[in-house]
Amino acid sequence: MDSLTLPKAVLEARDLSLGFAGRPVLEGVDLALASQEFVAIVGASGVGKSTLLRALCGLLPPLAGTTRIRHETVAGTRPWSMVFQAPRLFPWRRIAANVELGLEGLGLSRAERRRRALAPLALVGLNDMAMRWPSTLSGGQQQRVGIARALAVEPRVLFMDEPFSALDAITRRRLQGELIELRQRTDAAIVFVTHDIDEAVLLADRIMVLGGHDAGAPARVIATLEVNLPMQDRRDTPAFAERVQRVEALIGAGTEPSEDP
Amino acid sequence: MTEPFSRLRRTALGAFGLTLFVALWELSLRLGLLPGNLVPLPSSIPAVFMAEIGDGIWWEVVSSSLTHYAVGVGVGSVLGIAAGVAAALLPVFNATHAWLARLLRPIPPLAWIPFAIIWFGITPGAAAFIISIGVFWINYFASYSAVRAVDPGFDEVARAFGQQRFAARLTKVSLPAAAPGILGGLRAGLGQGWMTVVAAELFGIPGIGQRMMEASGLLATDIVVVYMLTIAGLYALFDLIFLRLQGRLLRWTP
Repeated sequence: MDSLTLPKAVLEARDLSLGFAGRPVLEGVDLALASQEFVAIVGASGVGKSTLLRALCGLLPPLAGTTRIRHETVAGTRPWSMVFQAPRLFPWRRIAANVELGLEGLGLSRAERRRRALAPLALVGLNDMAMRWPSTLSGGQQQRVGIARALAVEPRVLFMDEPFSALDAITRRRLQGELIELRQRTDAAIVFVTHDIDEAVLLADRIMVLGGHDAGAPARVIATLEVNLPMQDRRDTPAFAERVQRVEALIGAGTEPSEDP
Repeated sequence: MTEPFSRLRRTALGAFGLTLFVALWELSLRLGLLPGNLVPLPSSIPAVFMAEIGDGIWWEVVSSSLTHYAVGVGVGSVLGIAAGVAAALLPVFNATHAWLARLLRPIPPLAWIPFAIIWFGITPGAAAFIISIGVFWINYFASYSAVRAVDPGFDEVARAFGQQRFAARLTKVSLPAAAPGILGGLRAGLGQGWMTVVAAELFGIPGIGQRMMEASGLLATDIVVVYMLTIAGLYALFDLIFLRLQGRLLRWTP
């Protein structure tokens, strides 16, 4: 792929192969992502989406291949951060202290850390909750805090692992809208894992479809497609349904046992 | 769960039950249903208590027992928590000492009395040593299982946010997440400490236990009861203080 030589890529993965105990479950993943780009990774459950996300950021070592996040050493920032499926806030820390987690160990003063935590909290509309305990917040509010915690370190790449899948439909819609707004206020490239195809088409610039894991063969990237829709009010465009159907067809084909490789 | 009684009603019933028990006790002695040389008269206890305080004996034995207790519980808790947390976090340490722990665990604290005397002599150190053994195991197992039960998701969060060093994960994840369980063990250890404090003093180390042995030798059952009640009172006081502290430390629990 030519995009691999993209000079401004902040995240670059080459021929990534993942698995457990030496047995590959996902092979040959190439990805290059520029600043502010948004890629969604979709695929049937068990295809290795979350595993791929963890390999891209380095939480899981790959079986083969390389992944690299370009990160000029900017004081007080981290190369990447993550929003998890469950908010996973530390219940023993107040909200502000939760958001400060990634800022600890970066040589910032206590006051500076607090200031840097309050800014993203304001961005997700929760600055008046800073001194509350996590258990007093709703699921949607907790996930917003999870997003604020990830934004606080000003990452070059933001990894999101099905961040809205545990929320009710109304809250999910609202947070999807907020993420579209948030994108315009951060330089971070976003890698977003979801099993919800509508969500992928709604949010992403590019969709990476994983599949082809039949008869014990490892999965691979079966297609990468550009969404090419305006950022705002995507759901209302006639092309939205067409994009969703295309991805659905790809996933369906990719999981068909009789499908030719 | 719905409470069948109001709080006031429960307090009243509790007080009634206790009063009834003491009244029946007093009555059976006065009616000659119980032999007076084996059981003291409840109504005589306050006067005996005042006499023990007046002689200065009460303060003396209580303060030496409290010293044994404090040192024993302190040492046993700190070492027990440290060993339990280490066993939960360090697989090599855990595997290395697993058999040793299995071997030593069932030995009752009092079985260590011969060694306590050989190593420490008839000293407060010997009593503290015996107390610390029971407290150690309670804290060891409570901390071990509390840390083992911490959601591994929290560990992943720590690693995802740059807190991958052992010290950072220990202080930012393992210890606070396991705090409810560790504090539960600490509280059980505070109770266990009183169980052994008397026994540890029976072989001649000055303290509540020794005073009770002396009194029983003279069939002064009223003095024995005074110290039984003293232990109950001290236990309740310590437990109350600990519960306050625990409530503060665990403010975050829903």
